[in-house]
Amino acid sequence: MSNTTELIRLEGIKKSYNSVEVLHGVDLTVNAGEVIALLGENGAGKSTLVKILAGDIFPTEGVIKIDNSELAGLDVYQARQLGIRMIFQELNDAPTLTVAENIFLGQWPTSGGRIAWKELKRKAQEVLDRLEVDIPLDAIAGSLRVGERQLIEIARALIQNAKILVLDEPTAALSNVEVERLFKVMDQLKAQGVGMVYITHRLDEVTRVADRVQVLRDGNPVLNEFAKDVSRDALVTAMLGHAAVKNARPEVSKGHTVALEVKGLSDGSVFNDISFNVHEGEVVCLFGKIGSGTSEILESIFGLRTITSGEIDIYSERFTPKSPQDSVSKKIGYLPADRQRLGSFAIRSVAENLSVASWARMAKAGFVRKMDEEAAYGTWADALSISARRGPSQEIATLSGGNQQKVLLGRWFEARVNVLLLVEPTRGVDVGARRDIYEIIRKQAKESNMAVLVATSDYEEVVLLADRALVVSRGAISAEFTDDLVQANKLIAASS
Amino acid sequence: MVKLKSGSTAQGGEDGAKKRRKIPDSAPLVGVLLFMMVLFSITSEYFFQIDNFKNVLANAAVTGIVCIPSTFLIISGQIDLSVGSAAAVSGMLLAQVVNHHGVVLGLLSVLIFGLILGCFNGFIVTVIGVNALITTLGGLGFLYGVALLIGNGQTLGMKNFDWLGTAQPIDIPLPILIFTVLAIIGSITLRFTKFGRSIYAIGSNPNAARVVGIRSNRVMFMTFILSSVAAALAGAVLASQLSSGDPNSGLGLELQVVTAIVLGGASLAGGRGTILGTVLGLLIVGVLNNGLILMDVPTFWQRIAQGLMLIVAVSFDSIRAKLNNTRS
Ligand SMILES: Nc1ncnc2c1ncn2[C@@H]1O[C@H](COP(=O)(O)OP(=O)(O)OP(=O)(O)O)[C@@H](O)[C@H]1O
Ligand SMILES: [Mg+2]
Repeated sequence: MSNTTELIRLEGIKKSYNSVEVLHGVDLTVNAGEVIALLGENGAGKSTLVKILAGDIFPTEGVIKIDNSELAGLDVYQARQLGIRMIFQELNDAPTLTVAENIFLGQWPTSGGRIAWKELKRKAQEVLDRLEVDIPLDAIAGSLRVGERQLIEIARALIQNAKILVLDEPTAALSNVEVERLFKVMDQLKAQGVGMVYITHRLDEVTRVADRVQVLRDGNPVLNEFAKDVSRDALVTAMLGHAAVKNARPEVSKGHTVALEVKGLSDGSVFNDISFNVHEGEVVCLFGKIGSGTSEILESIFGLRTITSGEIDIYSERFTPKSPQDSVSKKIGYLPADRQRLGSFAIRSVAENLSVASWARMAKAGFVRKMDEEAAYGTWADALSISARRGPSQEIATLSGGNQQKVLLGRWFEARVNVLLLVEPTRGVDVGARRDIYEIIRKQAKESNMAVLVATSDYEEVVLLADRALVVSRGAISAEFTDDLVQANKLIAASS
Repeated sequence: MVKLKSGSTAQGGEDGAKKRRKIPDSAPLVGVLLFMMVLFSITSEYFFQIDNFKNVLANAAVTGIVCIPSTFLIISGQIDLSVGSAAAVSGMLLAQVVNHHGVVLGLLSVLIFGLILGCFNGFIVTVIGVNALITTLGGLGFLYGVALLIGNGQTLGMKNFDWLGTAQPIDIPLPILIFTVLAIIGSITLRFTKFGRSIYAIGSNPNAARVVGIRSNRVMFMTFILSSVAAALAGAVLASQLSSGDPNSGLGLELQVVTAIVLGGASLAGGRGTILGTVLGLLIVGVLNNGLILMDVPTFWQRIAQGLMLIVAVSFDSIRAKLNNTRS
């Protein structure tokens, strides 16, 4: 295409953290009306590169060219002036404020020094309508699902009239319908000449939205092509450095004893009369669109959400979840969807984050030995291929998003729980590692007789992970599939 | 066996990190301390003498006893401002009871007072859920009133009980020994025990701490009790040093405590801090006070210096956070 207008060009970008180089000279050109898909494994440097583009961090080397001028880096204000807007991988909202306030965060429209509430609400509603989302404007952001909060962040970027829009894994927590709506909006923006950089681990999205694909591997550029010219396999090979192994539906199996049984569970609002069981060594997936109630069911079992009726049995013994602490002491583990708020201890080390749920077991006379923690790190860094360049003492917040997720998953394996509840376990995890994680979850379940219950909105995940799948639709179980009947098309049909 | 990658990334990184040992966080504090010591040695001939060091340390020890559990609290994201007034009440109570019923009952009453106050603070903060700053600010106010009440607004002389504050077994004042033991126990607790590690976890992310099964309320409750008991002990030591209970003796103690801790690198946002840092912070505050006294600076200037020191310390906290952000 010769008639494209170049909006910004990054050349030879290098970035080091504490003298460890994570980007080794990468170029990125954003043209008007073009969507670039930026792909790569966890820790490849995607977020780092776009943060440099958005003025969030400064490159160690390289130039940024805009309108004939060359800069060594941008700051947030320059980026803002240039119309660069970014949706970060991690939530970046004000959880105690309302949806409307969040959409206009920091740039509330004013009239005569006072916030123009009417105008604010009208505009906020407009942009939500554009995304076809149905969230009340006065809901408190913190009370919403992660996916909904992500949509609000997208809405915030939309009202700011971006010239360049960066989306760092915006769809990781969105349902398929929501993703499709986002894509429609992206199509509109494209027609208006907005240039976009789009990061994702879902390869099927690439052909749908992207004009160009760029792949990073370990901080090096390895592929830059027109999206229509590359096959999915070529992309995977570029990302991993080798072709992917084909995964098929695993051999299903389960123990005889029922580890978790739920009877007629209701929470009075989101889900109603839910009954199912999970055997020892069995992986059961609750599949449903985001918002269907799957993650809320897990929250209730863990004691984070009150139930109005129904019962829960753990190994045939009545279990009344009183608090998360109570559930943990009953050997139930829970991987939350909101990893920042409920999952990671951001400023603490990877080793500590991995072993924190196992301290009770590790402690001898109240003492927790560093050795045991580092052994835990050794085991899981290896098995989950966690890439922490500075080893067990690296702060978890400085890992890439996908690697943080792996740490939080490893935490519960290390804790050797009997019942493991996982909400979207591979959120933000790359294609290669995703398959590995499925394998590990299954292996852990079988070897240690752990009952695993997964809430997911990803049908491929169900096919590759589940011994049994329960489809949840509008807060009720609408279908059950076992054995080789767990197939993507059936799941999707039953969930709508 | 699911062995995926040769973990080489992780291992290699670790070796690299060992080679590039970074400067310990306490280095700048040691620098400031040495600088001040050199400065005061030049300005006053009395500064660099064993007796003066003992004096500095004995004064710092009283504050230091309180600093140990207060460091726990600040790391966990809480704060206890009632310690100064609690120490005053404790001193008054001690003088009163020792004079009438003897030393044993005196010490016992002080201990019980500490326990009750700790339970009270712990209950209000963890069970009722009131912000710790407000709860203990209230305590600061009403306990000062109680201290005045006990002695009818006067200081109370205390007979036959000065060993706690002034005895010198192995030629070192007892308060210094008490403080040293507490600091070592505190440091070990924070670094190596489940209790101590939970404190960091709670401070770093209270919600996640619940999800991984940490009994946050229990840990907090315990820590508030430790804080009040330490304040009561400090009050007793102080009264013993002065041979009297003085309702004004604890004034500003909370200020010194928070200054020392924050100077020592603990973050008011929680999740960060060490006992070593606190001890260094404490010494800096102590040496500064002592140096100003030796230079004959009027006491009101010392107050001004202390207050400014706190602001400087907190600014360090923010600047450090900013630096970390830009580096990352
Ligand atoms: N603040 C930091 N300090 C040290 N290292 C960091 C920091 N931020 C990121 N890194 C490292 O830089 C590398 C690239 O991280 P980045 O977040 O860009 O990966 P990513 O491609 O976005 O991965 P993901 O798909 O998991 O989000 C990782 O090895 C990460 O650990
Ligand atoms: Mg990322």
